[in-house]
Amino acid sequence: MTWTRSVLTVAMLWAVGGGLFAAQEPPAKNPVEGNPDAIQAGMGLFRGRCAECHGMDARGVRGPDITQVWASGRTDGGLFKTVKEGVPGTEMPANPRILDYEAWQILAYLRTLAAPAPTDPPRGNAQNGERLFRINCASCHRVNNAGGHLGPDLSRVGAARSREIMLLRIRRGLEEFRAGFEPVTLTPETGQAIHGVKKNEDLFSVQIMDTRERIQGYEKDKMKSVQNDTKSAMPIFGPDRLSDSDLDDLLRYLQTLRGFNPAVVP
Amino acid sequence: MRITTVRLVRIGLLLLGGSVAAAAQQAAPPPLVTLQEISEGLPADGSRWLTFGGNYSNQRHSPLTQITPANVNRLVPQWTFQTGTLGNFETTSLLRDNVLYVTGPQNVAWALDARTGRQIWRYRRELPPNLTACCGLVNRGFGVLGDKLFMVTLDAHLLALDMKTGAIAWDVTMQEYTNGYASTIAPLVVKDKVIVGVAGGEFGIRGFIDAYEAQTGKRAWRFYTIPGPGEPGHNTWAGDSWKIGGVGVWVTGAYDPEQNLVFYGTGNPGPDYHSASREGDNLYSTSLVALDADTGKIRWHYQFTPHDLHDWDATEVPILGDITIAGQPRKVVMFANRNGFYYTLDRTTGKLIVGKPFVNTTWAKEIDSTGRPILLPGHEPDEKGEVTCPDITGGTNFWPPTFDPSTRTFFVNAREVCMTFYAWKPDYKAGDRFTGGAGQRVSTLESPAYGALRAIDPATGERKWEFRYLTPSTAGLLTTASGLIFSGDAEGNLLALNSRDGKLLWRYQMGAAMHGTSPTTYMLDGRQHVLVPAGTTLTAWALPQ
Repeated sequence: MTWTRSVLTVAMLWAVGGGLFAAQEPPAKNPVEGNPDAIQAGMGLFRGRCAECHGMDARGVRGPDITQVWASGRTDGGLFKTVKEGVPGTEMPANPRILDYEAWQILAYLRTLAAPAPTDPPRGNAQNGERLFRINCASCHRVNNAGGHLGPDLSRVGAARSREIMLLRIRRGLEEFRAGFEPVTLTPETGQAIHGVKKNEDLFSVQIMDTRERIQGYEKDKMKSVQNDTKSAMPIFGPDRLSDSDLDDLLRYLQTLRGFNPAVVP
Repeated sequence: MRITTVRLVRIGLLLLGGSVAAAAQQAAPPPLVTLQEISEGLPADGSRWLTFGGNYSNQRHSPLTQITPANVNRLVPQWTFQTGTLGNFETTSLLRDNVLYVTGPQNVAWALDARTGRQIWRYRRELPPNLTACCGLVNRGFGVLGDKLFMVTLDAHLLALDMKTGAIAWDVTMQEYTNGYASTIAPLVVKDKVIVGVAGGEFGIRGFIDAYEAQTGKRAWRFYTIPGPGEPGHNTWAGDSWKIGGVGVWVTGAYDPEQNLVFYGTGNPGPDYHSASREGDNLYSTSLVALDADTGKIRWHYQFTPHDLHDWDATEVPILGDITIAGQPRKVVMFANRNGFYYTLDRTTGKLIVGKPFVNTTWAKEIDSTGRPILLPGHEPDEKGEVTCPDITGGTNFWPPTFDPSTRTFFVNAREVCMTFYAWKPDYKAGDRFTGGAGQRVSTLESPAYGALRAIDPATGERKWEFRYLTPSTAGLLTTASGLIFSGDAEGNLLALNSRDGKLLWRYQMGAAMHGTSPTTYMLDGRQHVLVPAGTTLTAWALPQ
């Protein structure tokens, strides 16, 4: 079956004169990544074939958010297979009518949504940035198995977020809370208020990690109030707390974080 | 004649097995499923559930009263059945002679012992790899007549299965699935016919409703939901757009024996969002069509959303009822639409009686006296995007509502969500997606999304009460004569409320949300059961013995 499909693919590519990538196995790396024409063509294909489920910005509608696929460890070759063959048993269909080069174009475009290429040359000192991270961020954020749990793990943030987005988050704070990290305050009938981030919730209960990193569920009818906080636990780091130069260093360090690295001993 | 033949064969088989004496000592096998039983709907003794909506009116309102608002908090599980397959239930299970007949995702189906949840037989269809089902590899249930169950398939076939074994009695192709056709609807059995429809509104199909002879599988009639050349309504499609205009039918209709009419809601026109690809009203998309059950000829239609641009299929469940409005008895059909309006129509004429928003709607000001929406400007999707409420999933959708005639109340799970809609000109390739746009959820900071169970007076469209969910629910509903309403939220809670005032009486965390389907209820060995499909499980509940 696989053999037949590969032969068919080659035959189709030959027939339409689009035999850019007529190898039987897809290349491990997207051959058109960063190519402006491919990205443009990929945008049209993505919007026509993918956006209805995954959203115009690929952050998910009926289908899941796929802006984080590289950050979560998927490879170009694996994603190519997913585009072509779908995910059996789910709503992600096989796309036998998408030619190989079209699949690569879609991925080239998706890559621009996942981590837009920086427009300015790299600057800053990553070593100093790591030091600043340990002082200012590691109590809540984790990198390579070291650090706190209250904020998202940032081991792959360099692959998942553009420099511009990271800069905005640090300087201006968060506009919208990521699921699993929404700040919440529970006020019991007696005793002190419990602050934390929300891990899950339904009409009757809420599951949180409190500021001491204890994970625990609470029944709402046993609480005086359950308040969604509008202010994030993530502080705003203005120039008074983090100079422009230190910010460059920190961002440079964050840009190096492209996946869990077991070689790094915490 | 047919029954006589079957009996003779049965006697012959018994003789061959030499077990005449043993058979004589056993109770006689139950008679075949009759039209009389199906027509009677949900009987007072609770002994059966034989059609999608419980009765031909689709009311999903049970006469059973053993479980009440006072004792519902004592419900305990009797058994849980797990599918063992990927995908979720969207089915309405049928019950006959203490056996449940259940369809699941990926065209697997079962006969289960209703007392224990244990499998009696299992049917599994080998499906082709490149299916084009738009929105889940699901199935919404069996139809039944005589000794046969009827089930549609994701590759657009209609099957008849032997009730005793699950073996295929006949198998007909409705359309080639490679051209974008699929089927997920629960068949409706009317007289000697099995009525079904096809999905594929996102794949450039030309939709239809079909009727097949229950005994043989021979097609009796076909109603195209897009009129062909020379037929009334054909000129509501510019150029050749009618050939690939979509308009699937994937939710079971209602039947009015008095008029011999079936009522079906129809799907969106395609491409879904791009206006210039299909100028005109695009009949009979997003409509309720009333068809003669014998011939498939159209008696009347009512179009909810002329020239729809937001993928608002009218594939919601129509409910028939006889109610008094302004002192006059009226035969009506009730319909909560994906476009955000609730409608009460005269089911003999198709004329509008009530048309009122039941959620926040920004695209139309109101429905005028002729039944046409008065549009508000700025809601035609383009490449830049426009924000419209409700969103693509709609004010409600295919999950079944209910109607309690004793209190004249229509119940529906409603959604309050807005969306940015985009459109661009699409290219058509046979069997490929053909939508011409996309939707993007509006940030919850700008527009908080939530859901609510709403009780509506169908005589006025006014809301009687609501019960708010944390997030929008996609569960269907069940009401009982004892004053209960069963629902579910998106977080997996099974809920029982007082249908008079919406007060929550009982809840249980099922571990998965009920999606697109509702609980059913029946009597078994003197005890009322509530059967709940949620995720990959089916759980039966009853009061303690």
